[in-house]
Amino acid sequence: MNQTVTSTDSTNQNIQTKVKVKKLNLWYGNNQALNNISIELQKNKITALIGPSGCGKSTFLRCLNRMNDLITGVNIQGEVIIDNKNIYDKDIDEVSVRKKIGMVFQQPNPFPKSIYENVAYAALKHGIVKKGKTCDELVEKSLIDSGLWNEVKDKLAQPGTSLSGGQQQRLCIARTIAISPEVILMDEPTSALDPISTEKIEALMLELKKKYSIITVTHNMQQAARVADYTAFFHLGELIEYDETENIFINPKVKKTEDYITGRFG
Amino acid sequence: MLKTYEDKVTTISEKICEIGNIVVKANKDALAALKNNDIDKLSDISIPVKKLILQSNEIDNLIVTTLALYSPEARDLRQMVAYLKITNELLRAGSNTKSFIKGFRRSYCEDINTSAILEYVIPLLKASTLALEITISMIENNDEQTIEENYNRVIVEDSKTDDLYSMIEKNILKLISKHLELSKDYFDLLSSFRKLEKTADRASSIANLLLFANLGGELQS
Repeated sequence: MNQTVTSTDSTNQNIQTKVKVKKLNLWYGNNQALNNISIELQKNKITALIGPSGCGKSTFLRCLNRMNDLITGVNIQGEVIIDNKNIYDKDIDEVSVRKKIGMVFQQPNPFPKSIYENVAYAALKHGIVKKGKTCDELVEKSLIDSGLWNEVKDKLAQPGTSLSGGQQQRLCIARTIAISPEVILMDEPTSALDPISTEKIEALMLELKKKYSIITVTHNMQQAARVADYTAFFHLGELIEYDETENIFINPKVKKTEDYITGRFG
Repeated sequence: MLKTYEDKVTTISEKICEIGNIVVKANKDALAALKNNDIDKLSDISIPVKKLILQSNEIDNLIVTTLALYSPEARDLRQMVAYLKITNELLRAGSNTKSFIKGFRRSYCEDINTSAILEYVIPLLKASTLALEITISMIENNDEQTIEENYNRVIVEDSKTDDLYSMIEKNILKLISKHLELSKDYFDLLSSFRKLEKTADRASSIANLLLFANLGGELQS
């Protein structure tokens, strides 16, 4: 697709673009995984990326905080503009990009450290806080914002790995928001969790979007429908359709999107 | 369920009650006019059917969106399906009320036995209004025991309207036999009374749907 895909309500004055992607192409060696993706992702909204396995949605997500730079043989062309700055410009440091754009992965991956240290680690490394009261306050605030504080406030010294899967994932979210990112990327954040933990994460996402812009990859279309304001459908490395979630799930414009959503996809 | 889902359901319930209360109010106003023997007052009662249709369409689209986005199951699914049908029932109840008011106003005249007619119509209208009012209150109450109790009350009122209508029909036929020249007026009045009996049927049908939504079982019309 050569044209930027924007949602139908982009004329709404309350909608602000947070991430603007222009003609993004990505190759793993000779294999093109993303084909000319142009899209505008909105501030303080949840955008879900859906599509069959191998369609490029996770690859696209990882482009947004330059995670693909770590893979050998990857060639990326195009622009990812956040706050009027292309994160692929040569003068941009990828560590500063990842500080601004946090990520939560499919499997909860707490550090082999205490609950407290898990949250404080990156903030201390980035020099956001110093050890002591300000750090304690940051840890408490991050755990409150991630909905975990009441469950762990009496056991902050215990290992993060001692928590349940759902709690570990919320700990990872607390760790992400501790460094005050502007955008949170989530790569199938609930696929390893039970329905109760999934609901807690989804409720948390709805709370977090008040402060952050969230872009999530999900295979669970019901989850996209439940939590996302916007949904983008990817297929074979192309962005097929991007619109308000309600439109995607009730009146998709492209037949391929409808076929995928209704399970008629070959 | 997510708060966003609960918010949607609350909005839908409130909007349904809004339509229901418009219809109930029109019935109550009509009842007050008849009790006061102030038939002219009926012309002041309006049922904005077109507006109700728009409101109903809005609710139905909200329900479709909620079904598409939240894929509700079990009680939540039954509730959505019931609500989808209830909007239609309420529209029909509104139309019946409008037809009753219009028909009664047109046929009621000094030549007919007005005291007998009022004696018949007031309890009929009272029962159908009460049936509808109890039904609307069921939408706002999720307590299973209260739902069942209210359902039984609606069924009683509906049954009362059936019995009353049968009695009125017989009595009006007797009046017609005495005054054949007024038969058209009496038949038209009877036809308007029939609308009240149908309103109670709609109330009963809504109560049935709410019972299905809250307690389960099979969908019945």
